[in-house]
Amino acid sequence: MRKLSRSTAALGVAALLSLTGCGLSGGQTGATGKVADTNQRIVVDNFRAPVANWALESDAAYILSLSGCLETLTKYDSAQGKVVPFLATEWKQVSPLEWDFTIREGVKFQDGTDLTAETVAASLNSVLKAKVPARAFSPGIVSGVQATDAKTVRVTTPVENPLVPFRLASVNTGILAPAAYTGATVNPFGHCTGPFTPVSEKAKQSLTLDRNENYWGGKVQLAGAEVRFITNGATRAAQVQTGEADISLSIPASALSTLESAPEVSVLKADSPRTATLYMNNGRAPFNNVDFRKALRSALDLEALAASVYEGAALPAAGPFAPSEPWASSEAKTPKQNLDEAKKLLADAGYTADRPLEIIAIVERTEFADVATVIQDNLKDIGVPVTIQAKEYASAEPDVLAGNYDMILSQRNRLIDIADPIGFLTADYTCKGTYNLSHFCNEEYDALITEAARTSTTEERYKLYGKAGRLLNDQAVNLWLVNEQATDAVRSNVLSYVQDPLSRYVLTAQTAKAGS
Amino acid sequence: MITFLAKRTATLVAAVLLSSFAVFLIPYVTPGDPVRKIIRSRVAGDVVDEATVQALAESLGLNDPLPVQYLRWLGDFFTGDMGLSHISRTPVIDQVLPALGITLSLVLVALGTAVLVSLPLGIVAALKQGSKTDKLITTVTQSFIAMPEYWLAPLLVLVFALKLSWLPSAGWNTASSIVLPAATLSLRPISFFTSAVRSGMIDALEAEHIPAARARGLSHVQTVLRHVVPNGLVPLSTLFAVWFAGLLGGSVIVEVIFAIPGMGRLLYDAVVNSDIPLAQGGVVVVVALAVAITTLADFLHRMLSPKVSGALA
Repeated sequence: MRKLSRSTAALGVAALLSLTGCGLSGGQTGATGKVADTNQRIVVDNFRAPVANWALESDAAYILSLSGCLETLTKYDSAQGKVVPFLATEWKQVSPLEWDFTIREGVKFQDGTDLTAETVAASLNSVLKAKVPARAFSPGIVSGVQATDAKTVRVTTPVENPLVPFRLASVNTGILAPAAYTGATVNPFGHCTGPFTPVSEKAKQSLTLDRNENYWGGKVQLAGAEVRFITNGATRAAQVQTGEADISLSIPASALSTLESAPEVSVLKADSPRTATLYMNNGRAPFNNVDFRKALRSALDLEALAASVYEGAALPAAGPFAPSEPWASSEAKTPKQNLDEAKKLLADAGYTADRPLEIIAIVERTEFADVATVIQDNLKDIGVPVTIQAKEYASAEPDVLAGNYDMILSQRNRLIDIADPIGFLTADYTCKGTYNLSHFCNEEYDALITEAARTSTTEERYKLYGKAGRLLNDQAVNLWLVNEQATDAVRSNVLSYVQDPLSRYVLTAQTAKAGS
Repeated sequence: MITFLAKRTATLVAAVLLSSFAVFLIPYVTPGDPVRKIIRSRVAGDVVDEATVQALAESLGLNDPLPVQYLRWLGDFFTGDMGLSHISRTPVIDQVLPALGITLSLVLVALGTAVLVSLPLGIVAALKQGSKTDKLITTVTQSFIAMPEYWLAPLLVLVFALKLSWLPSAGWNTASSIVLPAATLSLRPISFFTSAVRSGMIDALEAEHIPAARARGLSHVQTVLRHVVPNGLVPLSTLFAVWFAGLLGGSVIVEVIFAIPGMGRLLYDAVVNSDIPLAQGGVVVVVALAVAITTLADFLHRMLSPKVSGALA
């Protein structure tokens, strides 16, 4: 049990938070004058535990990636807002349906075998064959992977797909050595290419890793690491405060004020691609009237909501995208509460309060109970009666997908598949979208998304996303409430920590720790 | 005695089967599609295409009629196979046994602590019945009932981990890891145990054979030690068994707050994620153990109490 080293509090210079304006970007610990000690080990508290026995198509891939074990062919650089080389040095579209990736030379797996086009193809094909395929890399999107020569892997798609390099940045497409696939389940131990080698696991508790002495990406600054699986947010907050953990990911809003005043702890915040949203059932009255939807939007006080329920750990939303996203409209503004306008719009819509409307607040997000109450109060002011029902998401989903609901509070990660919102915009808002909770259907919108999916120029594609976002906003399809922030806590002796809003990359070769 | 053992064995088998069937039904009687729950637990996503759902359901045998699924599980169980987890595809037994070991350690330490604390408190309270000491012990221990684990656990972390830095705030790594969770779990049993010991002792003190013992020349201390304390322990043995059985699967809150991978957390996750084989396997083990413990407590009760012994025979 490590004790708090209060005597060194004077050295606890807060790490700098740098939010760049280019893409979603995390904060980075800055220069503190401390010197890295390469004998140090680090402890990271992660918010999820692996459940699928390290299957790469599952969310376990996130844990292997953040731990510095699993690496992919490409990597999305949040700061640059683009896909950059990783295990592949370059790539090109050789035909409308084919992409060639050149495999980096001189890379060895942690078991000493060479990274080759054959091993890469075998690894990617094993993900393609999964019973529950990864969203980013499934047979519906990728029809085949094969090695065309010693250092080239060809990825074939059923239809032209300009986003293949983005898909190969998904952690689910991480590359493991052939020996990882010889048993009944995937075994990442000693079979990654990353800076850290997993050496032992305590089931549902932690993963221990040692430095990879032969890492292709340069000298690894830490001797090793322990990634703990701590699902309770308050516990993660306590551990970084006591010094039991050096980095705690995803700190809950309720613990922020305590941590922000704690010595030797820095709280890092970054815009995340998650927006708490009040989904409205556009498919049935009264929500099938755009004036009614706009009336509800005018009734809400989003700034008060962000300040009260989220205690400042979220920012009022200006539409379906966070302002930091490169496809977000720079003109988007947070709607201001205007009760007179709301009442006029209600009158225009011909609304009469013949029945109370229901908000489903899913219990998995504890703050939604309070959010629902604030909204209920706001809508009461314009004469719209609302009842609140707390439900588990799984029990609400069948009715919501079937269109048997009024409103539901939920949130979505727009970049859950790849670092591009095409999956979200397609699934959630196109007429045939597989997750169209709003039951919104608009030909103009569908045409925009179809065009975007075919557009290979990033800038052009982002412009189309921007247009689609404006259309959703103009139609007030949903009420986008607050942009949630990714919040990590880091002790001051951690050096070179770059916050990733999606928690894909936490431990890298550069991550270091000062001696105690 | 043979009749008693036969009845107990039949009870155990019936309890195991009934509880496993109830757990088997949970994913089907609660809203939401079990297969989507399984998929969501693997990929934490909301978008699941129908083809994936159907393929997974088929491969896991979830499209078969419910009785067929249950009887298949039952058949495997009687051949010693608890099946594979729907989520991790690893043998259920490999997940249940480590979790059970952890929970058993935690519960034993918690209830052992409760016994060590409540025994002297209950004895003193009974011997000083009606005094200020008795009232103080009774009031303080009774107040423990109103301290739920979700309130007490963060409080203990705040004091002993954050403020004093004496103990780890969470985890299951060193011997010190057990202190705070065991303390959290022991507080309410202390209340019930103290009350039980006190009541048992008072009943024993008022029994007819106590004046007779004193008349035989036994000192007060000898009388208490030989004739009162053993009788005071009788209700404690039953209570201990009941709490032990209850905490085997019921320590979820403490296990979540202190990041302990025990049975409570395992069963909770299994039910939430529709991991039916894991839930069934876990419940079977917990129920069997709970019935065995309460049976053992009945034997103990019989040994300590001649009246009960007579009734059982």
